[in-house]
Amino acid sequence: MTAGSAGLSPSARGPSGGAGIAGRIAAGSVVALIGLALASVGCNLVARFVEGSPLTEVVGDHPLLNALVKSFIVANFVTLHVLFLIWWERKFAGWIQARLGPKHVGWNGLAQTVADAVKLLVKEDIIPAKADARLFVIAPFLAFMPTLLTFMVLPFSATWVGYDFGLAVLFALAVSTNVSLGILAAGWGANNKYSLLGGARACAQVLAYEIPLAISILAVVAISGSLSLVDIVESQARLWNIAAHAPVMIPAFAIFLICALAELNRTPFDLPEAESELVSGFHTEYSGMRFAFFYLAEFANNFFMAGLAVTLFFGGWHGPLLAGPVWFTAKTLVIVTLIMWIRWTVPRFRVDQMMGFCWKVLVPLSLVVFCAAALWSVRVQ
Amino acid sequence: MRVLSDFVAGFAAVFRGLWVTLLNLVGRPKVTLQYPFERPKVSPRYRGLFYLPYDKEGDRLKCVGCTLCAQACPTKVITMEKLGSGKHAGVSEFTMDLGRCMFCNLCIEACPFDAIHMGPEYELASYDRNASVFTIRELAEGGAEAVKRNNATIQAALERERESGGGGGQQPLVRLSVSPGNDPGAAKP
Amino acid sequence: MAEAQRMTADADGGMTVNLGPQHPSTHGVLRLMVQLDGEYVRSCEPVIGYLHRGLEKMFEARPYRQLVPFTDRLDYLASLNCNLAISQAIERLGSVSVPERAQYIRVVLCELNRLASHLVFFGTYAQDIGATTAFLYAFREREKILDLLEAMTGARLTYNWIRPGGVPADFPDGFAEGVRAFVSAFVKELPSYDNLLTNNPIFRMRTEGVGVVSRDAAIAFGASGPMARGSGLDFDLRKTEPYEIYERLEFDVPVFNEGDCFARYRVRMEETVQSARIIEQCLRDIPPGDTMTKMPKVFKPPVGDAYSRTESPRGELSVYMRSNGSPTPERVHVRAPSFAHLSMLPCLLRGVKLADVIAILGSQDTVLGEVDR
Repeated sequence: MTAGSAGLSPSARGPSGGAGIAGRIAAGSVVALIGLALASVGCNLVARFVEGSPLTEVVGDHPLLNALVKSFIVANFVTLHVLFLIWWERKFAGWIQARLGPKHVGWNGLAQTVADAVKLLVKEDIIPAKADARLFVIAPFLAFMPTLLTFMVLPFSATWVGYDFGLAVLFALAVSTNVSLGILAAGWGANNKYSLLGGARACAQVLAYEIPLAISILAVVAISGSLSLVDIVESQARLWNIAAHAPVMIPAFAIFLICALAELNRTPFDLPEAESELVSGFHTEYSGMRFAFFYLAEFANNFFMAGLAVTLFFGGWHGPLLAGPVWFTAKTLVIVTLIMWIRWTVPRFRVDQMMGFCWKVLVPLSLVVFCAAALWSVRVQ
Repeated sequence: MRVLSDFVAGFAAVFRGLWVTLLNLVGRPKVTLQYPFERPKVSPRYRGLFYLPYDKEGDRLKCVGCTLCAQACPTKVITMEKLGSGKHAGVSEFTMDLGRCMFCNLCIEACPFDAIHMGPEYELASYDRNASVFTIRELAEGGAEAVKRNNATIQAALERERESGGGGGQQPLVRLSVSPGNDPGAAKP
Repeated sequence: MAEAQRMTADADGGMTVNLGPQHPSTHGVLRLMVQLDGEYVRSCEPVIGYLHRGLEKMFEARPYRQLVPFTDRLDYLASLNCNLAISQAIERLGSVSVPERAQYIRVVLCELNRLASHLVFFGTYAQDIGATTAFLYAFREREKILDLLEAMTGARLTYNWIRPGGVPADFPDGFAEGVRAFVSAFVKELPSYDNLLTNNPIFRMRTEGVGVVSRDAAIAFGASGPMARGSGLDFDLRKTEPYEIYERLEFDVPVFNEGDCFARYRVRMEETVQSARIIEQCLRDIPPGDTMTKMPKVFKPPVGDAYSRTESPRGELSVYMRSNGSPTPERVHVRAPSFAHLSMLPCLLRGVKLADVIAILGSQDTVLGEVDR
């Protein structure tokens, strides 16, 4: 993605126009593809080496060592990735808004998030005087932990997966919903009216949108016939779900994406932190590292949801030439960018409209899609 | 049926919105001005920091200390100390408290001698209230050196006048050269 | 024990939330004390006065020619329109005639400022509804207007360029061409705004049927400008009581009958097109000549009073001025449209949801500078 940015960067200024735009998109994509290819050759080699090396076999045989190494890798991956994602979101938002985005810390501001993280680390840790201190302190971790846990089942490739088991889909759903617990704790614990409203909104929203989300995932499960994420990806080895079963999978993906936006509290569903009404909702009172944890959770969740979409609909790690993890990450980043693009385009729902949209539109639609998927799977078999 | 068509139209509208943002992402120049590194080019009429123009021919500041600008000022920003009188009038002190100034241009329009201008400088913020009080040494074109020469010229002229025995009152005021400069008040045809 | 210190509910089980004076969506320093029942608003009380500077009293202590710069601080998003209102009052008081060219220049400047003001509305309203990007696009265009006005007046926000007797200087070189180029480019830009926001279903859901002001209520509350025209009231002082050269110009007054936030939004967006039309006509028809009538050094209008009504971007901005023959006015009163509109809020907000508070407040396009004065 970073290489692709060169084609879109403000250095390539020029008069706007239909042909110019098409050319720019084409040039940008070409540059992005070349950059991606070059970047991934390196990753490819590393991935091949790690997969085939004797070290992995030794570690793989030792359950405790295995768990430690894996959790170490996951935790670091999540943190580093979030640093990149925040930079990318800022940059992307900047370009969309005719701005430049971060520019000065590191190459094109790439180290801006690192600088901000350091700033947040050294900031004073403020707990409001009348807050419920215990809840207030624990809330960011309550929000962050489930996010980290979900990465356990996210299959970067057939072998690069923390722990895959027969109920991985259900596990991911169940755990990711717990983020709302942290948000509610933050909303209540801060003893701030904006926070409370934000927390209550978040809880209602996440719980409501969980239902169509789960049903749209079930549509995929109905077709691939397994609740294991690795199995779901394996079943797409020939053709991605979204292409192989387009009539049911495209609506299912649309519902999944909308619900994912709601789960992630992203515009148009950013009601819990609606800055024009609730200042910044549930994290109004947070500062320093606790605030950073909410941010970390938000962006890690973003990556997880996009990864889940890739796993379910876009063939997971499958792709020609490059190693599985590279493909998986690249696809995920595309979905993440799509989510950002939507975020910076549309306005925000009102709370009753948001609920009405879920219960009156998405839930019936997802049920229809699920039934269609069931019928489709019968036809396919 | 209507509900369905509305639904489809709504989705189409969202996609058109996404298209707009995409066009701005790739097709439009970015407009950010990297402020401390790039600076905006201000217009010739820009109303920035004041300066008192220096009259090279007369080797003195143009200001004759008539206080018309001070009278025209709605917030009483300007105070001055007159030097000399009659045709050799000038100022030895000219202080502006820009903390109160609205940059409304009224003083400049009030001046019949074109002796006070606004320049292009706009970075006037300071950490100290007193730093926004500008004295004649900061305002004069040419700085403290110009003020010194201004005072010397006027003193010398007054000295000459006293030696020649006065009577200068009947003569018209020294004709100060008036340049159109960037006087915002000057009507252009 | 900790529980006792927690925030308390109101006696009736509701919750009082303060929106403002420092809040991301109150435009300026307005404070809304909102009584909430869950997400629903029980009652709302606007608290004003955080920006009170005693401008009307300050007017009384200054000679007439020094009043104009203070009006920049009334409606700071459209300060030229405020300059015009007070200049007209002074001119009527002293029976000063304004050169024709100056009148054309005034109209061009005022309409440019109206465009800028409506662009701010578009951006901030989108922001209120939650669409962040439209804000930046609107400000990108507004910046071009500010550049033009800077070339004309030397200032970017507080212009002080319409004076009793005319305007202090003519267009600078290239100004007319710059304005023409901007206006035609701007009109082409408008469809992208429609695609981005106007037609967006979420935006429509948030604004249609929200904050409905009936025609009668609009009249009863003294609404004017887009607030009145969004409620089906065909009332535009540029048409009903033309000042300057507006009667010679051809333009439409957009009126919508729905009375909701969306109607008000559309009135403003349509008005930008009409402003563009007005500017083009003015630049086409502008006669040569002077721009300023010579005013006496000490301006002493005869005893009497004058009332000038103008159509500012927010509505009817009027100035009442009484003279006792001295160099300073005896009394100046400013009739600010935002003030009348704010008085509607308690009625409009009863029973709506918290998010609608922001949508309705934003659709009024209040500027606190003229409310508090």
